[in-house]
Amino acid sequence: MAYTLAYSLGFTGIATHEWLGIGLGVVLLVHLTLHWDWVIRTTRKLLRRGGRERFVWLVNLLLLVSMTLCIASGILISEVALPELGITLRASSFWRQMHDTTATLTLILVPIHAALDWRWIVGVARRFAAWRPGRSR
Amino acid sequence: MDRGRGSPFRRLASGAVTVKFLRHLAAAVLVVAIIVGLGMLWAHASGGTGVGSGPRRAPSPEALLRLKQIKENIKTGVIRVRSDNGFDLADTGNLIRTCEIEAILAVVVITVSVIWRRRRRMRRTAARA
Repeated sequence: MAYTLAYSLGFTGIATHEWLGIGLGVVLLVHLTLHWDWVIRTTRKLLRRGGRERFVWLVNLLLLVSMTLCIASGILISEVALPELGITLRASSFWRQMHDTTATLTLILVPIHAALDWRWIVGVARRFAAWRPGRSR
Repeated sequence: MDRGRGSPFRRLASGAVTVKFLRHLAAAVLVVAIIVGLGMLWAHASGGTGVGSGPRRAPSPEALLRLKQIKENIKTGVIRVRSDNGFDLADTGNLIRTCEIEAILAVVVITVSVIWRRRRRMRRTAARA
């Protein structure tokens, strides 16, 4: 959802777009950290696993590369966030092109990534909805 | 005085979780750094690093002409430039379009996934029978 918002530059404006993008970078790192066990487990068993598992792994890898490059290029061409922090970089057309391409690719890959794990997402959402503070189970 | 909460075993387990998290975070940071490094190499190889100081190519006459046209369009109001004061609720169409693209893709993937699962289940049931 945050990516959907960040992609809609016309709606958010450049400042929100940039800060949201930087926030997404932090979220990406935490998400990757929390699922690192899955990354290792699936990568090790990649040759033995079936087609679906391989496809999910490939989508996730593509999404990681695309989103990382999108955020990195976004930081390099930043017009508001970085100058606000006192950092000014002269952006090249290469990074602008890279930002546009990877943003579109990420837009395609994010819903695929979420839809491939929709059962897990629904399960977590159900548990979260049923959770009450102070109740262990 | 021991002010820690829970049994020593529980605290030890919590410490182990923290160490594990930090180890995984370091690995994730390393992977991200490798991807960014490869991107930098790509930019360098294609001659378009453009970050920092370096010689810049003069813009082409076509680019200068286009820039002049854009400036004139802004002056005459053909191109609307808005001040960047956060969300522009008038441009929700932009957000809706993004949501539509994502929703369509998600629906397609979920439908394919459900069909695929159902077929596999049917094949298994047929094999058992």
